[in-house]
Amino acid sequence: MTPIVQVDDLRKRYGDIEAVRGVSFFVEPGEVFGLLGPNGAGKTTTVEILEGLRRADGGSATVAGVDVFRDPSGVKRRIGVQLQASAFPDHLTARETVRFFAACYDLVVDELALLRLVELEDRAGQPQAKLSGGQRQRLSIATALVNQPQVLFLDEPTTGLDPQARRNLWELIRGIQGRGTTVFLTTHYLDEAEILCDRVAIMDEGNIVALDPPRKLIEDLLERGFTKPVLQQRANLEDVFLDLTGHELREA
Amino acid sequence: MRQTARLFALLLRAYVRDRIALFFSLVVPLMLMVIFGYLNLGDFGRVSLAIDDQARNPSSAQIAQILRGIGTLQVTELTTDEALVKLRRTELDMLVVIPPDFAIAPARPGQAVPQLVIYGDDARPQQVAVGRQIVAQVIDRLSFAATQTAPIIGVKEETVQGVRLRYVDFLVPGILGVNVMQLAVFSVAFALVADKQRGVLRRIMATPVRVTNLLAAHVATRLVIATGQIAVLLLVALLLFNVTIIGGLAPLLVIALLGSILFLTIGFALAGWARTENQVPAIAQLITLPQFFFSGVFFSKNAAPEAIRPITNLLPLTFLNDALREISVQGATLWDVRTQIVGLLVWTAVGFVLAVRLFRFEKF
Repeated sequence: MTPIVQVDDLRKRYGDIEAVRGVSFFVEPGEVFGLLGPNGAGKTTTVEILEGLRRADGGSATVAGVDVFRDPSGVKRRIGVQLQASAFPDHLTARETVRFFAACYDLVVDELALLRLVELEDRAGQPQAKLSGGQRQRLSIATALVNQPQVLFLDEPTTGLDPQARRNLWELIRGIQGRGTTVFLTTHYLDEAEILCDRVAIMDEGNIVALDPPRKLIEDLLERGFTKPVLQQRANLEDVFLDLTGHELREA
Repeated sequence: MRQTARLFALLLRAYVRDRIALFFSLVVPLMLMVIFGYLNLGDFGRVSLAIDDQARNPSSAQIAQILRGIGTLQVTELTTDEALVKLRRTELDMLVVIPPDFAIAPARPGQAVPQLVIYGDDARPQQVAVGRQIVAQVIDRLSFAATQTAPIIGVKEETVQGVRLRYVDFLVPGILGVNVMQLAVFSVAFALVADKQRGVLRRIMATPVRVTNLLAAHVATRLVIATGQIAVLLLVALLLFNVTIIGGLAPLLVIALLGSILFLTIGFALAGWARTENQVPAIAQLITLPQFFFSGVFFSKNAAPEAIRPITNLLPLTFLNDALREISVQGATLWDVRTQIVGLLVWTAVGFVLAVRLFRFEKF
């Protein structure tokens, strides 16, 4: 299959700092692809170049068949994005927020159907600013889906959410993948990557240091003779937390 | 066009829901007008004006008689020397000297036009400004009456007795002007810097929206709000203070909207320059405050010290206020205020260049 995202020798520097140092990889249609790495590894820079928001200094990248450097707005038309640390225009309801972004694509969409997809239909008339953190992330995904994108970019979608909201968002992302949309996500939560991603790339200091399915990466590590210093616990604190507080979303 | 219209509809809805923005765009200007209008109504009713009639002919008698008949003026006859002494003691607001060669007649080619000399008390600039406007209006109408013997078709005669000008008549165009400025500069600068800081603009730029359409929607939103604001201010001025807009509402609105566009470009430039919301009020005040005082809002622009008047006369708000006031008080047409319109357009061009250089959506 032709890759839906193809990146070759991508480079970007900010002054003296080489944020991205010749990165190459591809993403297959329909997969959930994870870009992992510690803060400052160059994840966000890489993603923002692919989203047409930032110019690269070198290399090449195509997204959904479009050359990102030549036609950034063509890329923007074909993808959906959720940015880290972004916000919606003030004083609009959830439904109007979806309408606003549809207008940005010059499209008319069924706003309620999109809100239903992210389980926010009953919040349609509520001011966007009054939504909880998890609800706002789901609204953010609804706005990213207005143009029926071929690739959905999610930059650290679950940062700052409670365990229930995180699990709920994972379900949503799996559902979106189930509808045939490719999902490209960055995260620094490894459990999230392990559960959601078909393949992950691990980025450090501007380079990709590993790229494979999560299972494969773990097996390779074990083959290299790695053993965990302590015995694996059969449950962890998160399991306790979820056992006591339940899996249901807490939002009112 | 459709994109602009849809974005505009949502931005306008959001703006109207913003109570704080509405408060500043409607309640504050109304308060300013009511406070200044009422404060000065009683006390400021009369301008003391002395006439030194050196001509002593029917024309000069006519003008003196008309001025005496105007309620706003308290007219005395004094010689120039006596009057100047009183002026210096601020016992008198202004002096009008009618020169010996004064006559109300159509000018003949090559013949100098008689000139009235007006002295004003610098300490009472509002009164002087009002007095000047009245005298100018009287002269305009007398000249008009004199030249009317020439065949001018379809112009009806107006009576000179209708001339009256109170402080509030002088004040209202000034209030309009200053609010056009404040609304345009502050509403754009605050809103967009907040959007920039919170990452709203970044998120919008991740869509293929046409930047010109988005900007047009923002501008249209502000123009609609400005029109609403002007309508409310004028309504209150008409109902509460019985202000007469001699030149008509349409030209007044045209000038106010030209002024809005001018100050919007400055607002966008400021929004592009400022990194944080805290920088906005400081710079916005730096831009607007001198104009607040020196561009003839509450008192004559001639209240500015003489040394800086060449500068203050060229301020954007000075052009705006002069044009609004001449239309409102003297019944000027758009053609009459073409100098001010050119001034506004030149400033708009300057603001536009600044805005384009400083404000780039792509940067966010």
